[in-house]
Amino acid sequence: MNNATLIHITRFFAFLIFQVLILKRLSVGWEGPVFINIILYPLFIILLPLRTPRVLILIAAFAMGILVDMGYDSLGVHAGASVLTAYIRPWILAWLAPRDGYNVNYSPNLERLGSRWFFRYASIMMALHLLFYYSLDAFSPVFIGDILLKTLLSFPLSMIFVIIVTLIFKPKE
Amino acid sequence: MRGLLQLFAAYGGFLAFVLLEGISLVLIVQFNHRQKEIFDNSLGLAIAAAERKIDYVTEYYGLKEEVIKLQAKNIRLMEEADNARYNTSVFRDSMRPDSTEPMFTFIGANVVSNSIISDNNSLRLDKGKLDSVQSHMGVISDDGIVGIVRETTGHFCRVMSILHSQSRIKASIKGSDYFGTLTWKGGDPMRMQLEAVPKHAVVKKGDIVQTSGYSQVFPKGILIGKVESARIEPGDNFYTITVKLFNDLSKVQYVYIIDNLMRKEHEELDRAGE
Repeated sequence: MNNATLIHITRFFAFLIFQVLILKRLSVGWEGPVFINIILYPLFIILLPLRTPRVLILIAAFAMGILVDMGYDSLGVHAGASVLTAYIRPWILAWLAPRDGYNVNYSPNLERLGSRWFFRYASIMMALHLLFYYSLDAFSPVFIGDILLKTLLSFPLSMIFVIIVTLIFKPKE
Repeated sequence: MRGLLQLFAAYGGFLAFVLLEGISLVLIVQFNHRQKEIFDNSLGLAIAAAERKIDYVTEYYGLKEEVIKLQAKNIRLMEEADNARYNTSVFRDSMRPDSTEPMFTFIGANVVSNSIISDNNSLRLDKGKLDSVQSHMGVISDDGIVGIVRETTGHFCRVMSILHSQSRIKASIKGSDYFGTLTWKGGDPMRMQLEAVPKHAVVKKGDIVQTSGYSQVFPKGILIGKVESARIEPGDNFYTITVKLFNDLSKVQYVYIIDNLMRKEHEELDRAGE
């Protein structure tokens, strides 16, 4: 087990604890007909190295989702959304590929690919994750209006946290 | 086993995704009250919709049987009616009330093919020689007359529609019993001409036109249509009458072929007269 793997495992638990213990409490304050949720943990999936096997990404995302679900008491909802987000990650990466391609030894992060590229990538992934999460939460296309509204309201706040965390910690791996 | 491993190497990502997403969905439905209710409700709706479809199909097949039953019932009623029976109540100097003999019998049939657009239209029915259908038998539907049987084969027969340029049906005005010949000049499949009604007859718009019973093809009193316009051309001795049919031949489905049991006798008389 090398250094980079250890960093990602640490990050996994750090995001999990931060999400369940702190962000969940912050979100509860706005609970009501329009529910605003701050969601940060997908940043773990976003930052996984490019060479990570696809199956491993999916399993890690599922594990993260299930553990978050246990904190949120909504077993399966976060897990389903995380697995979907992890599954579409390669397509988003392919879509946003720089002209000369990626260096597969790196992680897709701020340091390696620049802030403009990274925030574009992170915002697309976060928006899709929120959309998946609220869709699974509503569980019926009937509530499409609610789903879109909640996604739209939660996205800016979640993105602010993503930006703050990446700028403070400047993840290199 | 090697094949299985190769499959997993090629589609591992997708298989893992399907597996994990499946687990997530099962968990959502199992452990979340609201989502479980939505799922159960949707499942119920889907099952109900499927059952409705199945019911509809079985009902439709049941309906066919029902139509055949109703046809049989109708035939029995039509054969009981006065106009389908030969009246034997007056016999020399004694009177026998309510004494009739069956004269017309009916054969239920379905329309196989139909046309209304040409000048000489015909229909094809699914009854033929094997069902004792012969040429020159009349064909009616519940709403009026349809035509006259021309050719028959074992299982089918061809009917000259009343919408045929050579079709001549004897028809009379209900109430006054003046009769004429019903013909079709082409065009509108809902309108026919009643010709040769003498000008001393009283014909008004709205009078009912029915079969006269003179032809031995149709029993008397089958309703055909309503007089739409009646006028006498200057110098003409007969009315020009337009009749609007009750029967829409463009959608006729179930018909009855009329068998006149005393037709042989009429034919004998026809031959004797020649």
